[in-house]
Amino acid sequence: MSAVADVMASHTIYHWGLINTYRGQLLHGLLRALNVALASLVLSVVCGMLLAMWRMAPRRYSWPAALYINIFRGVPPLVSVIWVYFGLALAFNIQFSVFQASVIALVLLYSAFLAEIFRSALGAIPKGQREAGLSLGFRPRTIFFTVLLPQAAKISLPNVGSMLIGMVKDTSTFQVIGLMEVVYVSTNAEATTFQPFVLYTAAAAMYVIVAFVVDFVFRTLERSIGGRPVGMLPRLLTYRKERRVRAFAEA
Amino acid sequence: MNMDLAEPDSTAVAAMPPEPDGETMADLVKAPSSTPLVTLEGVHKSFGKREVIAGVDLQVDAGQHIVIFGPSGSGKSTLLRMMNLLEIPSAGTLSAFGTSLTFPMKRDRVPVRQATAFRRNVGMVFQQFNLFPNMRALHNVAVPLMRTAGVKRAEAEERAAAALESVGLRKWCGHFPSELSGGQQQRVAIARALVLEPKLLLFDEPTSALDVEMIGEVLSVVRDLASAGMTMVIVTHELGFAKEIGDMHIFMEDGLVAEKGPRSLYDNPQNERTRRFLEAVL
Repeated sequence: MSAVADVMASHTIYHWGLINTYRGQLLHGLLRALNVALASLVLSVVCGMLLAMWRMAPRRYSWPAALYINIFRGVPPLVSVIWVYFGLALAFNIQFSVFQASVIALVLLYSAFLAEIFRSALGAIPKGQREAGLSLGFRPRTIFFTVLLPQAAKISLPNVGSMLIGMVKDTSTFQVIGLMEVVYVSTNAEATTFQPFVLYTAAAAMYVIVAFVVDFVFRTLERSIGGRPVGMLPRLLTYRKERRVRAFAEA
Repeated sequence: MNMDLAEPDSTAVAAMPPEPDGETMADLVKAPSSTPLVTLEGVHKSFGKREVIAGVDLQVDAGQHIVIFGPSGSGKSTLLRMMNLLEIPSAGTLSAFGTSLTFPMKRDRVPVRQATAFRRNVGMVFQQFNLFPNMRALHNVAVPLMRTAGVKRAEAEERAAAALESVGLRKWCGHFPSELSGGQQQRVAIARALVLEPKLLLFDEPTSALDVEMIGEVLSVVRDLASAGMTMVIVTHELGFAKEIGDMHIFMEDGLVAEKGPRSLYDNPQNERTRRFLEAVL
């Protein structure tokens, strides 16, 4: 077989073995993506909750929050990260690292989405819950943390999980600023192997696996909090509390 | 809060059947000796242009059981909720527990510190129970002890279990509200309202959301509390029960006290409107 035929063949035959060859780099890319997504999640949850509370204030104070939410839900992640990484450097001479810029770009977008998720969750809690807290002499802070937040968390957990999956996927656009995540690794590998189908499929498979894992973790959490734990793992996680309370019932 | 200074009503304690184990109702009720407990003078409340309370004077003495009844929209719930500052009066004065509040207040709000201090003296039982669905019965009752009174968890749980026992629900400590019947939920709610040893207990139609066969168990807890000397204001449609338990009966209509008086009010109403209401209801 001639050299040309060899190259031609390599275009038409899928070398699935490449996934194994590049597994180290791909996993590194995945870890990088997860790293950015998890850091962004933590910050977005905090910022999103603050935004939600601001958004729920009387209308004459809440409009800036509403404006922010509507703008940043509409901005694509690619634009967001270019603003943060290149825009801020040009305009104000602030140069973030690639990691920092990625996290900030995601937090800007996802705090807007999460604010709406939290707003609807807080809004779904009956008014009587707050009144019960007030009637027991709770301060506003106590009402928020002991009464409203646990109930809102239960309601919003599935949606927060979806947001996390979205964040992991959105990191793929950050190759424009050089974030070494899964798709960037695949693109690089493709440049030397000419096997885009194999490598991008491997990248997609990794995102799908992440989606399944996130779903499992968030479903377990959701079933462990805010009411009777459902399922084996949630029951196991709350076993100590259950045993302590049962001791009172049997005393 | 000098709750320990107050003594339970001794005659009421004697009337209670002896209960060897667990806390009795009387242990939880510490009726204060000073009178009057709460005084409302010329209170008004408007929602926008609609005036729902149009000038009411009311005095609640320690140990008194006041019943408020009347048609829906007459302002009885609003009046009750004022005694807990869940509604802020638009005008008038509210004096209780050593403080006197004159309305209207700045921006129609009572400062948080003052309001929470005030509410600590008042327990409230709601029509819809309003238990916290994310907590077991035990923690529904324990959490006010921990968050409001600063009691440590172990002691709070201990006292919550005793409070649940006093409403006959110790066995149900580990159940979530969604796993309890309406009557049980309302009894947990009563235990929760009692656990901070309030000087005044407010009931906002405590049996209106209950199935008929569960009304009895809740009313019997309220009855026990009454005979233990708890000061109570009850908004209710259960007029038979109201007549039995109350020692001051108030008929409200259109935001005003149309008629008030002792038990005889039911048999011999002076006000034409009271008479028609009672005829329709009884």
